[in-house]
Amino acid sequence: MKKLSFIAALGLFAAAAHAEPATYVLDPAHSFASWEMPHFGTSTNRGRFNKTTGTVTIDKAAKTGSLDVTVDTTSLDTGTAAFTKHISSEEMLNVALFPTSHLVANKFVFNGDKVAEIDGNLTLLGKTNPVVLKATNYNCYMSPMVKREVCGGDFEMMITRSQFGVSYGLNYGFPDTMKVIIQVEGVKQ
Amino acid sequence: MSSNKLSGAVVRTALAVLCAGPGLAPALAQPAAGPVTYELDPNHTFVTFEVMHFGTSTLRGRIGPVTGSVTVDRAARAGDLRLRIPVITVETGMDVLDARLKKPDLLATAEYPEAYFVATRFKFDEAGGVQEVRGEFTFRGLGDALSLYARSFACRRDATLKREVCGGDFSADFKRSHFGATFGEPFVSDNVHLVIQVEAIAP
Repeated sequence: MKKLSFIAALGLFAAAAHAEPATYVLDPAHSFASWEMPHFGTSTNRGRFNKTTGTVTIDKAAKTGSLDVTVDTTSLDTGTAAFTKHISSEEMLNVALFPTSHLVANKFVFNGDKVAEIDGNLTLLGKTNPVVLKATNYNCYMSPMVKREVCGGDFEMMITRSQFGVSYGLNYGFPDTMKVIIQVEGVKQ
Repeated sequence: MSSNKLSGAVVRTALAVLCAGPGLAPALAQPAAGPVTYELDPNHTFVTFEVMHFGTSTLRGRIGPVTGSVTVDRAARAGDLRLRIPVITVETGMDVLDARLKKPDLLATAEYPEAYFVATRFKFDEAGGVQEVRGEFTFRGLGDALSLYARSFACRRDATLKREVCGGDFSADFKRSHFGATFGEPFVSDNVHLVIQVEAIAP
């Protein structure tokens, strides 16, 4: 029996060492994109998109990955209804005409066994531009709830909003570049 | 990008403040004589908490608007801050998470719908900007000392309101186990990081 389990353990180890590409489906409870925008040089306004869906494929052995993620722009939530409404209007995100934003990426940069950077293309308001997501945290763990591996982290990207046609407020000092903060966790399929 | 309609005057004021740069805002150059009591702006006063989830990603939730008052006497370099933090308003973007957070082993919102922060120890920088506010944080009915540190602070003359507005971004850290909110430890961090946006309007 002991020998058998030892062999089984060896088999598992071998499987882990020669990992095939694995697909992870984003966990909606732990996958959110938020942004920050300075308010008249005083404080920082924040907003969050409540609905993000998508999949990530990672080959740990080959250190490659890809992702396809969709953000529901109609799910914007700033905590202040009037502010959310204004940003959602055609003056800015125009969510009635562009209800989704789409991120695709095929270049994953690893630091050891952790994803450190993701280079991709972001489509917002129908315009597509390259973006770089930098990891500030990255980890994988065995979830005691879903009994599967979960990988994820925190990522940040700077976007130049005028590239996507969002120029509101540029002429009175609101910055063109803004920080997007991404929490993401994906469950292995 | 305010929810307010922006007039040309606001635009000019904002530009003036932005061009002056942080710490050089005109309102800071001449400290008002005597204490001034500011009213918190509900559109720009929120607390976001951050906890680490399984050592992997940062779980955030927003609470607010925070209400209360702040009195600052810049000449005397003194202040008094009283905040009511409606933890019952917590929202993470996910209803099931919000419901979990409100339970008795976390925010305990049925018994304690509000947290409080009362502070009278203000530290100012040379320009008269608020650097640190130290006081007592009451959460789940238990009090403990807490410092809020300014990551940015500035005052401006708001042309729409025709009043001085002061505020900034503050942060603080506390251990939730000190207040009995232990569910999910150690998978969800004991340390809670607070990111606080605050703007307050002078009379």
